[in-house]
Amino acid sequence: MESIQLDILTISGSVLLIATFGVVARRGFMDWLNAYRHQSIVLAGVTAIIGYVTGIWEIYIAAVLTLLVKSIAIPKILTYVTRRLDIEFKTETNPYISLRTSIIISALLVALSYFLTQQIPFRSDQVVNVLLPVSMAQFFIGLFVLVNRRTVLSQVVGLLIIENGLFLFTMVLTHGVSLIIEIGILVDILVGIVISSILLFRIGRTFDSLDVTNLANLRDD
Amino acid sequence: MDSVFANITMLLLFLTPVASAILVTLVRKKRTIGIITICSASLILVQVFFLVSRIISEKTVTAFGNMFYVDSLSAVILLSISVVGLVSALYSKNYMGRQYDNAMIDDKHIVRYYQGFNVFLLTMLVVPTANNLGIMWVTVEATTLVSVLLIMLYFKENSIEAAWKYLIIATVGLSFALIGTVFFYYANTNVTSFDDAMNWTNMVHNSKLLDPNLVKIAFVFILVGYGTKAGLAPMHTWLPDAHSEAPTPVSALLSGVLLNCGLYAIIRFHVISSNTIGSAFSSHLLIILAVISVGIAAASIYFQKDMKRMLAYSSVEHMGLISLGIGFGGILGVYGAMLQILNHAIAKPLMFFASGTISQKYETKAMSKIKGIIKIMPVTGALFLIGGFALVGMPPFNVFLSEFFILSAGFQSGQFLAVTLVILFLVVTFAVFLRHLIKMVFGNPVVPMKKDDMGKLAVVPMITLGSLVIVLGVFVPQQLQTLVHNAAMIINHGGFA
Repeated sequence: MESIQLDILTISGSVLLIATFGVVARRGFMDWLNAYRHQSIVLAGVTAIIGYVTGIWEIYIAAVLTLLVKSIAIPKILTYVTRRLDIEFKTETNPYISLRTSIIISALLVALSYFLTQQIPFRSDQVVNVLLPVSMAQFFIGLFVLVNRRTVLSQVVGLLIIENGLFLFTMVLTHGVSLIIEIGILVDILVGIVISSILLFRIGRTFDSLDVTNLANLRDD
Repeated sequence: MDSVFANITMLLLFLTPVASAILVTLVRKKRTIGIITICSASLILVQVFFLVSRIISEKTVTAFGNMFYVDSLSAVILLSISVVGLVSALYSKNYMGRQYDNAMIDDKHIVRYYQGFNVFLLTMLVVPTANNLGIMWVTVEATTLVSVLLIMLYFKENSIEAAWKYLIIATVGLSFALIGTVFFYYANTNVTSFDDAMNWTNMVHNSKLLDPNLVKIAFVFILVGYGTKAGLAPMHTWLPDAHSEAPTPVSALLSGVLLNCGLYAIIRFHVISSNTIGSAFSSHLLIILAVISVGIAAASIYFQKDMKRMLAYSSVEHMGLISLGIGFGGILGVYGAMLQILNHAIAKPLMFFASGTISQKYETKAMSKIKGIIKIMPVTGALFLIGGFALVGMPPFNVFLSEFFILSAGFQSGQFLAVTLVILFLVVTFAVFLRHLIKMVFGNPVVPMKKDDMGKLAVVPMITLGSLVIVLGVFVPQQLQTLVHNAAMIINHGGFA
């Protein structure tokens, strides 16, 4: 592989991480969505580069679909469902761990993913070396956002980041499992987002709040 | 079976629920769509019986190149899906009709219900037949999405909460499963061409060559991921909520069948991992999770106040027992586990149907307010009692047989600590479950009610399942024995019987 391609991949990897940190560091839902959109655009670019390097045409299709679904359809849907919600529903005012500590924890998670990828016996491959830790970091930070935040919306964003990490992980490690599976995964995400939008809407209307601490009626006591 | 014929068989099997979902969408009449769904579920059952008879004689059927692969292991799961699918469709007609009369649900949502029901059946039928493990993952995720839609059918606070928790926990869990699947695929691409490296048959074929370290990591991810879906503790937290808040026929499908689909996925990877690194690694992990599951279920049933939640925890217990059987291994343990899959799939829907009818009659799910079922609903009460006896593993009902096999396999393989703990937990569950059950079935009703078994269509599915519970307890038909035995051989002998 030429060094220019590797440089582009390295820069893209850092942009992906910066976008992930954007979600950790900001309080507003629209900011998260923007970060996610930009992350997805870069992700599609990375996918296309991998397609160019490996010469597998199916990966280009996966890149185009990623661009369409993740950077256009999903942000549109989520903006549409949340347009009538009060601004206070859309801001994370009181996470379990403060934003400042969250950023430090996320940085540690990035370090952890670099450490973990070195432990696992992968084929030596430049793309893997550069991007695999990034994908693991996205996965871990997504999980962290999911459990740390109180609004239902940030759980959705956490899921989306986890999913982007998974996509990158699959793409880097195996150059895409076959196209039909990629399409299946994308359809699953799209349907999942539509369903969670319906649920968001119902939670907002029924509980008059989007705080997950309301969702604690069902318990064994 | 020759390939064209096999393709047509599989295609028809998948087209039946699709056609039924489309018909339901077009017809939209409350009375007719119930009947359409019953017809399609019976058609599925007939086709599955046909397919299973082929499997018994020919061992495997492949279709569409190598995309679909059905062996005895898949056949066991397919049987449970189609039987529970049919009885749930029958029960839906009566149950959803009454929910409609009680104004719990409107015309629009009853159409949604039947659409969802058919699509749910479709997604579950694909899981055990897919050879491509990526397609299997996609359809398992699809079962989550469809069942979330079915759980949030009612506009109640509790169903919204249950649906949300289920959606988030299951999706995150399955993302672990995807990582595991990709690891297995990656390990396999190191030794074979990319083309069919995702196929289970190919992975089993190459399993001796896979990198052992990768396989270890991958199996842990798979176990966490599909274990979430299978309701193994400690990833089971969504299960009691989802199973208790779903409409009753859906609870029966979720508990009786969907959990099996999750376990099925784990078993497939267990086979590959056993071939590569020996069965000790995955078996020990399975046994640990199983003991935790049975323990947590016992504790939760002890403190339980809600009837449907109690049944949900009993599902956690039974999933634990099945993984215990797989973990103990040996022909006895795996045979018991396969039998337990079927027995649980028969007994649990029976209990859910009975509890659904009971809670409609008493208008509550709280066990303290339900008394004297046998006086008010003699048939339902008797079947509720039989189902309960079966679930706790009392002889001569069907679950006793499989639990006995599993526990003796434990002694045979020398896992004394695990067996002792599980027997202890089972004794607790036995006592507590029966105490709850007997308090509900006997005694005098709190408020006087009319004696009434709530319609024929509610009773017919229960009687069917009840008689299966009794018959399979004393006599397992020869064909079923062969099938279950073959499935056990697949697990024990590295993938091919």
